[in-house]
Amino acid sequence: MEKLDHPQLKETLYYEQLPNGLQVYLLPKPGFQKTYATFTTKYGSIDNTFQRVGQEKHQVPDGIAHFLEHKMFEQESGEDVFQQFARQGAAANAFTSFTRTAYLFSCTNNTTENLLTLLNFVQEPYFTDQNVEKEKGIIGQEIKMYDDNPDWRSYFGLIEAFYQNHPVKIDIAGTVDSISKITKETLYNCYHTFYHPSNMLLFVVGGIDADQIMTLIRDNQAGKKFEPPAKIDRFYPEESNAVSEAKKIMKLSVQTPKCLMGYKEKNTEVNRTGTDRLKQELATQICLDVMFSPSSDFYQSLYDDGIIDETFGFEYSLEPGYGFTLFGGDTHHPEELIKRIQEEVPRRLSTGVTQAEFDRIQKKRIGASLRSLNSLEWIANQFTSYRFQEADLFDIIPTLEKLTLEDVNQRLKTHFQPEQFAVSLVMPK
Amino acid sequence: MSFATFKTISLGNIRLHICPSDKFKTTTLSAFITNPLQVETSTKNALLPNVLGRGTKSYPTTVALRQKLNELYGAGSFGDVFKRGERQVLQFGMDLANETYLQEAPSLIEDGIRLFCEMILDPFAENNQFSPSFVEAEKKNLKQRIDSLQDDKIRYAAERCVQTMCEGEAYSLYTYGNAEDIGAIDAKSLFDYYQQVLEKAPIDLYCVGDVKVEEIKTLFAKYFDDKMQQATREDVPFATVAHHVDKVKMAVDRLDVNQGKLNMGCRTQISIRDEDYPALLMYNGILGGFAHSKLFMNVREKESLAYYCSSAVESHKGLLFIQSGIEEQNLERAIDIIKEQLVAMQRGEITDQELEQTKATLSNQFREGQDRAFELIGFHFQSVLSGKARTLEDLLEKVNAVTKEDIQKVAEKVELDTIYCLRGQEGEK
Repeated sequence: MEKLDHPQLKETLYYEQLPNGLQVYLLPKPGFQKTYATFTTKYGSIDNTFQRVGQEKHQVPDGIAHFLEHKMFEQESGEDVFQQFARQGAAANAFTSFTRTAYLFSCTNNTTENLLTLLNFVQEPYFTDQNVEKEKGIIGQEIKMYDDNPDWRSYFGLIEAFYQNHPVKIDIAGTVDSISKITKETLYNCYHTFYHPSNMLLFVVGGIDADQIMTLIRDNQAGKKFEPPAKIDRFYPEESNAVSEAKKIMKLSVQTPKCLMGYKEKNTEVNRTGTDRLKQELATQICLDVMFSPSSDFYQSLYDDGIIDETFGFEYSLEPGYGFTLFGGDTHHPEELIKRIQEEVPRRLSTGVTQAEFDRIQKKRIGASLRSLNSLEWIANQFTSYRFQEADLFDIIPTLEKLTLEDVNQRLKTHFQPEQFAVSLVMPK
Repeated sequence: MSFATFKTISLGNIRLHICPSDKFKTTTLSAFITNPLQVETSTKNALLPNVLGRGTKSYPTTVALRQKLNELYGAGSFGDVFKRGERQVLQFGMDLANETYLQEAPSLIEDGIRLFCEMILDPFAENNQFSPSFVEAEKKNLKQRIDSLQDDKIRYAAERCVQTMCEGEAYSLYTYGNAEDIGAIDAKSLFDYYQQVLEKAPIDLYCVGDVKVEEIKTLFAKYFDDKMQQATREDVPFATVAHHVDKVKMAVDRLDVNQGKLNMGCRTQISIRDEDYPALLMYNGILGGFAHSKLFMNVREKESLAYYCSSAVESHKGLLFIQSGIEEQNLERAIDIIKEQLVAMQRGEITDQELEQTKATLSNQFREGQDRAFELIGFHFQSVLSGKARTLEDLLEKVNAVTKEDIQKVAEKVELDTIYCLRGQEGEK
């Protein structure tokens, strides 16, 4: 077991890669009641075309990663694994994103039992024709719930405006039609491809003893048989630099229009790993903060003119193969908002970010990162996401401290190019 | 492991609650100002937190104030209003980085507390009124916040269920006030109202972090108490809880939705102040609080009718709400199944497993709250508001001692009051 000290943050992380390939990270947090664990596979909704070395290439129905996540809770005993977690006093859950599927629990008692339950249920799939059919009704209702959520719709509207081919534009849950094609055979195929320990990461954080927990995990994994790890090729269609549609308009049942905008990363900007990737993300966030946070004159003028309201926000997504900034919110004046943004961003490109602005936002970001480290959930999920991109969560603050004004101004020029801009507009019916 | 404890100190006629803890990387401040929930003042209360967040005596513009917060290493600052029973509480919060974890930083605690107090006690004002431009901008924002409720169909349905059920009672008022009352408020009337609030309303201040009790006491005495009038603060009465139902109310709204929303409201006759409150928590947990509960198991897992179906308790008014999203043609079927679960509870049809699981998961939920500063504060403030000091140890012990008979007695008190459905427009002919 390797010990990784972060003295400034007073955190010590423990790491071991097990013989079956599983990466295990443990972060003891003295004083915490809770233990939070995530068991994550590097497999999300975008991985819909793949090939295991020596096998044929598969294209699977949209929404299958998420469907598989639902079905993992089924066990051969006929008992839903939620029941077992509940007996052991844990709150269990799972989620599927574009690039990951994570199974998790939090508990304040019976940590050992809960951890074994987590490892075992994720490594013992049990799919039948009948339990697969049953889930179609439930997920169908989940899809309809999202259909009634205009914020979700406008978010996907923007991604569709950005991407012509990349599967990030497909809804994570798929459609009622696409999930109707899912069978237990396709589920097993996806499972055996992506749930091999060598494609997974276990993170445990909380009031734990690292030695004891590592021994437990090591023994549990040593007792199971896995095929040798096979290289997985994932295929994504060619995506050009250009946005798919500069402006996508949807009519929905809303009182207030929703306007989301952003810039799509060019292909040269979506393949960095490690500290370079982290630096790109942090510099982009600083640009967004300088221009669009409530401490900017621009935000305040939009707010006081009634163009935006408190729902206005921004974020940056960066994953291997795609990336984009996003900002916006509810507005009764979407055209005016778009116009003001399209005036402000070029103005910024010519003036750049000032040293004083940079200094303030750098401090703000350092404080916000420190605050995030209070959250066990954030640590586990973010650590895993960064690890899958060969970056390290604990490098955020040191990287922020080293970032310079020049880095930020360089990023500003690279990212915020007018031809990369797109808008998603939700209008009342 | 022992639980965190607060030391309560009287500062004049204000209560200051301090919890020293070294497990967080930030210091959390919070202030609660408790008002009665009344139609005359609910909209003003809803407007206040945002107006106060716009500027202070020392930082008269929003940009200046926000930049100061950024310089304090991104001190997170927020103001909001929430409803507990028939009280409407103004809440202010701030989260300050602990300088121990920063490469170079002066102590932020005194600067932070000074600014926090100034935002509450010395908001920007001229000629005994708030800035008219701040108030006008915030009125627009509040109007949009109230209007956009209808765009979030799940929240809208929940709110309409409350309005139907509690018609004529203060509890029916919306947390964020009434759109029609916004127009009449101006910078002067809002300022005058706020002065009354500051003089009369009960105020509770909180601090959680790696702090010394004496130091925090001295700072709040200097920056808060010394600036206050020493008038008597008036207790705000607890809501009326007892309410017997003669006839179940049915209400249907029609909007353009893809999925029907079903909300059912019950009167429990029990509040947080009552001896059988722990039994009510157990009742709710077995009925619909968790993924092992009757509602989830029967409506979702057995019948595949829904993605979500759960229940929650409002502990200061003695209400219990059930919510689900259901395909329209299945609404009646879902209502029948839910009613069957209520009847099963009355008959005492509770298995040992359900009892054991719910004790374990409910206790876990409470213990987990110990690891988040704002939840620690929230739990303590609940007991302050209820006028019944209750420690976590005590509550957990009582939950553990609850028997099936205790839960059945609760079930006999619970009366279904209202069934609310939000349906699509197609069936309306």
